[in-house]
Amino acid sequence: MKRMLSFFVRRLGAALFTLVTMITLTFVLFWLIPSEPASFVYPTAQHLTDYQLEHAHHLLGTDRPLVEQYGEYLWHLLRFDFGSQWGGAQLFENSKLTEVAIGPQLASAVPATLSIILGGALLVVLLAVPLGAISGRRIGSIGDRAIVLIALIGICTHPMVVGLILRTIFGNQLHWVAPGGYCQLTPDANAPCSGPVDWASHLVLPWITFALLFLALYTRMIRASVADTMHADYIRTARAKGAGETRVMTRHVLPNAGLRVLTMVGMEIGTAIGVCIYIEAAFGISGLGSMAVTALFGTVALDLPLILAVVVVITAIVVIGNLAVDLLSALIDPRAGDALRDKETKSLAGGVI
Amino acid sequence: MEGIATTGMAARAAAPEGPWRLTLRRIRRDRLTLAAASLFAFIVFCSFAGGPIASAILGHSSTDQFPYAANDNYKPVGPWTRVSTASYIRADDYGDVLPPPKGTPTTLLVLGADSVLGRDELLRVLDGGRTSLEIALFAVFVSLLVGVPLGVLAGYFGGFTDTVVSRVTETIMAFPLILFLVFASVRLSDTLTPIGWGSVVPDGVFAVALLIGLFTWFYPARLVRAEMLTLRNAEFVDASRMVGASTWRIIRRHLLPHLVPGLLVWAAIAFAANILLEVGISFVGVGVQASTPTWGSMLSTTWGTIFAPRTYDPNSYTPWQTVIPTLAILLTVVALNQLSEGIRRALEPWSSR
Repeated sequence: MKRMLSFFVRRLGAALFTLVTMITLTFVLFWLIPSEPASFVYPTAQHLTDYQLEHAHHLLGTDRPLVEQYGEYLWHLLRFDFGSQWGGAQLFENSKLTEVAIGPQLASAVPATLSIILGGALLVVLLAVPLGAISGRRIGSIGDRAIVLIALIGICTHPMVVGLILRTIFGNQLHWVAPGGYCQLTPDANAPCSGPVDWASHLVLPWITFALLFLALYTRMIRASVADTMHADYIRTARAKGAGETRVMTRHVLPNAGLRVLTMVGMEIGTAIGVCIYIEAAFGISGLGSMAVTALFGTVALDLPLILAVVVVITAIVVIGNLAVDLLSALIDPRAGDALRDKETKSLAGGVI
Repeated sequence: MEGIATTGMAARAAAPEGPWRLTLRRIRRDRLTLAAASLFAFIVFCSFAGGPIASAILGHSSTDQFPYAANDNYKPVGPWTRVSTASYIRADDYGDVLPPPKGTPTTLLVLGADSVLGRDELLRVLDGGRTSLEIALFAVFVSLLVGVPLGVLAGYFGGFTDTVVSRVTETIMAFPLILFLVFASVRLSDTLTPIGWGSVVPDGVFAVALLIGLFTWFYPARLVRAEMLTLRNAEFVDASRMVGASTWRIIRRHLLPHLVPGLLVWAAIAFAANILLEVGISFVGVGVQASTPTWGSMLSTTWGTIFAPRTYDPNSYTPWQTVIPTLAILLTVVALNQLSEGIRRALEPWSSR
């Protein structure tokens, strides 16, 4: 128990360290990259006068020393408030600036992205476990080859293409499900659509798109693990004791694959968010991915506070997710700890995004 | 004659076969791997030599545009169509399209036209293959160039160096790659894109490859580090240290050769992943210049970018526009995947997966 506790503390420390490093790094990097915040305040001006520049910088607070701005930003974050973005700032009577807060946007974007990822991940598990088990039991059989090939096809078609094809067929042509958009899970009388049914019907296609991409990887991993364990002594023992084929599979072989899958999941959280950029674009969902894209490709100039907020949220999700995965795997197998993490590397499916 | 052969065999039996010869022998016996290797060689040949050859036979190049190869709805013609080489579409006073003037020569589009511009799809997929393969190959080299030294540093020296390198690697690994990639490609495209080498390495290829490589170096770094951790305590390392070999010599002469097999297996898979990554970059709308086809840009001319995704309209698209580049990607990825598996099987026949 004491070892568990120390492991937990160590991991928590590492997570916090990563988070703070990431925030600092992006802050410094993005502040070094030239952007002109004043052009957000005067979006129509062709050429900014010195007075306008100075005035805008003063109103946005970007004329202060960098350290002070950094301190203020951290203080914002500690209160779970992401400050205001530069884009959409409007000047009234030449002295008052109304700014658009980032917090509410994130509050609507994060659930959408998490819905895609969590639902998609569930679908991946539901599909990959049986497929991997079938495939791994008899490596080299026709069934195995077929499964591996289908999984490979899934990886070779880009999620953007898959998403748009699915949307065209099942959304626009057959009208089986909604062709795009997002509805919140909790019922809301004011929204055009809400509630679990609307939520799921809007997300079925994104989930399938997500699953098709990651299926190959997880099927292969479970397949490899199953193939490795099938010949283990304890499997023979279980068989000798009269356990049926299903019981051997579900109780003895598959749990062995669980740990590796879990480790992999921890490393893929970032990738999954990256994939969401394409999935959200294909289905017109305004989530974290599309927010990141708007932030990065702002038409006027780079909206640094918005970029920073998106980066911080993504890092936080990744770090928290990793922490959860670490703790879970430590609970499942106390010996695993750091050793397994060092061995595994982020999958190359990450290469797709 | 007989005598010489016998002596030769005796000599060979006396000297144990080197690991490379053994591996090569195992590969030669593995029909699946041989098939994959030939398929890949065929793809490489087609991409580099196929374009010019086909272009010479057909009498037009991949950049020639044939307006008559698309109909009123902008729908390009399908495979094996002869179209007029007229350089503009004639219309009558009412705006209706007239057939090309009598006597204009026609030309054959083997796989149909690529888009409303009416370029030859076959030539584009061949030339696009060259660009895509070049990007993938360069990117593998870049990530090896960055990753291997870092991995050696972390794995061989351990201690503080290891902690720093590992933490940085983990942090970068956890974050969605595509965000960095997109950001960097937008910001740096002006500086990097003009670097090229005539038509052999088109403008932008180097830039995309460099970016992909700079964001994927952590795979080889982790691979090398893990291997180094086990190797540095091996007896042969102790032995060479004892006879006075310098650290640099130990790394170069005794450790690096051990890394080659693992890196080779990785490189084949990474090559495939980089091709897919390039598709992703194309969907962001950055990357290689529009006039140079890549497999990714062929897909994104049909499906749009993440800012303006297009749903499929059967009146103005043909399925060929998607099927052909996807098939090219699929074949390449499958071939490389099997090749990587085959190399690993040949290097470590004892491991089951």
